[in-house]
Amino acid sequence: MKNRREISLAFKEDIVKRIIAVVVGVIVLSIGLVALAGGMLRATFSWPTYIDPAVGSDFSSSASLINLYDSLVYPATSGDPLPCAATSWEASDDSLSWTFHLRHDITFHDGTPLTAGDVKYSMDRLTAIGEGYAFLFLGRVANSEVIDDYTIRFGFDKPFGPFLSTLYRLYILNEALVEANIKMPGPYGDKGDYGKEFLLTHDAGSGSYQLKEFRLEEELVMTKNADYWLPIDEGAADEVHFIGTTQSSTVRTMMSRNELEISDQWQTSESLTALGAMEGVEIAEFSPGTEFYMMINTRMPPTDDIHFRKAMAWATDYTTVTDYLFPGSTPSRGPVPQNVPGADPTVLQYKLDLDKAREELALSKYAADEYEVVLHWIADVPDEEKVALMFMSNMAEIGINVKVVKVPWMSVVEEMGQQETSPHIVTVFDSSHYPEAGSLLESRYHSSSAATWEQNEWLLNDWYDAKIEEAINTVDRDERFVIYGELQQFIVDQCPTIFLFDQVEKHAYHADYVDWPVARGEVIPVMGYNIAARLIKVDN
Amino acid sequence: MTTLKFLGKRLVLSVFVLFGLSILIFTISRVLPGDPVRMALGSRAPQWAIDNLREQMHLDKPLYAQYYYWLSGALHGDLGQSLVTRRAVSSDIKEFFPATLELALFAGIITAVFGVVFGAISGRYANTWIDNTLRIFSYIGIVTPSFVFAILFMLLFGYILRVFPTVGRLGAEVAHPPVITGMITIDALLTGNLTAFGNTIYHLILPSVSLALGPMAQEARIARSTISDNLSKDYIAAARGFGVSERLIMFKYLLKPSLIPTVSILGLDFAGIIANAFLVELIFNWPGFSRYGINAMLNKDLNAVSAVVMVLGIVLIIVNIVVDLLVIWLDPRIRLGAERGK
Repeated sequence: MKNRREISLAFKEDIVKRIIAVVVGVIVLSIGLVALAGGMLRATFSWPTYIDPAVGSDFSSSASLINLYDSLVYPATSGDPLPCAATSWEASDDSLSWTFHLRHDITFHDGTPLTAGDVKYSMDRLTAIGEGYAFLFLGRVANSEVIDDYTIRFGFDKPFGPFLSTLYRLYILNEALVEANIKMPGPYGDKGDYGKEFLLTHDAGSGSYQLKEFRLEEELVMTKNADYWLPIDEGAADEVHFIGTTQSSTVRTMMSRNELEISDQWQTSESLTALGAMEGVEIAEFSPGTEFYMMINTRMPPTDDIHFRKAMAWATDYTTVTDYLFPGSTPSRGPVPQNVPGADPTVLQYKLDLDKAREELALSKYAADEYEVVLHWIADVPDEEKVALMFMSNMAEIGINVKVVKVPWMSVVEEMGQQETSPHIVTVFDSSHYPEAGSLLESRYHSSSAATWEQNEWLLNDWYDAKIEEAINTVDRDERFVIYGELQQFIVDQCPTIFLFDQVEKHAYHADYVDWPVARGEVIPVMGYNIAARLIKVDN
Repeated sequence: MTTLKFLGKRLVLSVFVLFGLSILIFTISRVLPGDPVRMALGSRAPQWAIDNLREQMHLDKPLYAQYYYWLSGALHGDLGQSLVTRRAVSSDIKEFFPATLELALFAGIITAVFGVVFGAISGRYANTWIDNTLRIFSYIGIVTPSFVFAILFMLLFGYILRVFPTVGRLGAEVAHPPVITGMITIDALLTGNLTAFGNTIYHLILPSVSLALGPMAQEARIARSTISDNLSKDYIAAARGFGVSERLIMFKYLLKPSLIPTVSILGLDFAGIIANAFLVELIFNWPGFSRYGINAMLNKDLNAVSAVVMVLGIVLIIVNIVVDLLVIWLDPRIRLGAERGK
């Protein structure tokens, strides 16, 4: 006969067994649920992501915004504007106002119709907050006026040529929804926080996808908008997950398990090779309009001498960089990547030519070894070290001593803030924010960008400033592009920068069940637009 | 009464420790290079936007004034705004800390249970092949960083065998239970959502085991050492002489006193898991507190850095107090000694 202790032990054992059985059962059920996944597009990104149209402007934010929101115009693969929320538009004779006529059948995700008031509200909010893509419109768009429910007019103090291209970044918000979720008090006076807290984790858009869930630091989940005004291909994913990781072991594992359709662009060449070797996985390559520059400080000896700078440019081994260090990239021709509309294909392209380098050095007022040239490369991008060391070796060929220094990004930004602390050379990637050469020509060399990380050159040239402003103010696209050409010729002639290569963005993707237009060469030259989920067919 | 007095004394001392820590981390975070506001808003943000945010964050004021604003806010539960997540740091902590706490608790349970079991087996069979085998595994566990285990497990169980999920806290097809504690396992149980509960456990296994192996190996070695030492003590020989069964000796007379050093180290290991889980969280895309803290440091997110360090300080203090109480409970000599000394 069992005593009380034995009975108690037997009872406890029974309970434990039951708990284990339930846990195991639940886990098995959960595994089964995961295996039933379908109609899903998952892509990895570098984080953080901001889905507030007045805050986000990096790659993952831009990709999220174009799925959640509509804009007045949409970029074609040529970079030209296509109708989107606006069916048509016209500029006034003096080009000081642009009028847009809106579609009547667009509704926001909550069913509210999209009207001109929402467009005005979106522009006003963006410029009042001043973050994200606001810099495209600040100081340019003087006012916006609602003509009627479906007509909006923007006014300017002086003409703004690339205005249509910048409108790719004006995402239209549901005014009523944002106003209902404003938090008082806040930094924007009677607008409180202008809905910033709400829009951190909610969408107020009319885009082809709507927000399902946003777990900051983890992932953004969107579902297909069944009432979208434009037909969405049936093959487009029902659910889209943007996952915040670029960890190569994680990406590889997910890709091998068909849990990831498109990888981020930050995978190393070794990781991409491994991903490309997986069954069904291919590497899509396209130029995002990004260039890798060696920005030369033109205000301190010896790099203040144009011949010294040209000597360095002729002594640099560009093909080693594009063939071995950043394979797949193409040598740059001037300050604008060649796939960006307005890039001048006729400007001089520097190549490795040691004789020319020595000729230029002989014309310089400085001897090759009179100064040590200090090059700072960004510690956060390890591949830059290879370029820096190669450059040091190249310069040694003509007797120039280069000191290579690894510097964290934060420190680089700080030191570029003042002319006195800017080093001789800094290596930086930069890209256009709207598909026109003017974007880069302005942000890289206009005097207003000196003291920011986008210009270590300290060009500070009045002629250049006036000319780029003239270009930006020119409404006729052809005329504008002619001026862009003059500016590029000037920059190449002054050689304030070593133009190393046009970057190629590489993504691994599941070609066996994903039909991605980019892989067919249909590339939209605006950051983020190639991850428009409604254009990507997924058969999983 | 003595225990209560001890607790009160420790709590008062903790206030001074936290105050000193707050001054230290506040100063260090603000003298690092880089303009956090410019970094947050980007190079193309207009100067007025930069100035506005600087004013909102009191960064336009002297350091002592900034500290005053920060401390008075913190005492009222307002830890300021994060420059990375763009929301209140207290909201971030509320979201990310439970994720890491859940992970650390699971890792802690694995560490405690298996560390003690393996230590007891090693100690009981000291200098036999069983002890030697466990010793080899322990050494491997001690010298291998947790992120290496994480990558190996991901490759083995995620990439090759494909039996465990590799990212996140919950499968994409499983609905998140309502947030009550922030720990999905607990929230799922409280709401009766067994699917979410099982799925979370399933997601927890690889990261928590990766984090647990190092501390577990250390616990096992310490437990083995103390058990082995205590086995040769007179009171054990006396118990055997009285014919007490080996099982009773092991569990009643040997294990409890032998656990004292193990428990002390376990507390530190638990706090260490919370602070150092960064790489494991990164590999398994676990939206945790440790990862949040490192991102805050990389982005010079001033308020978040200060808050993360303060929270870790509080965790360490609480864990130390709990460990001390456990040790008092495990070893009556400490309690009696304190009473005699009063």
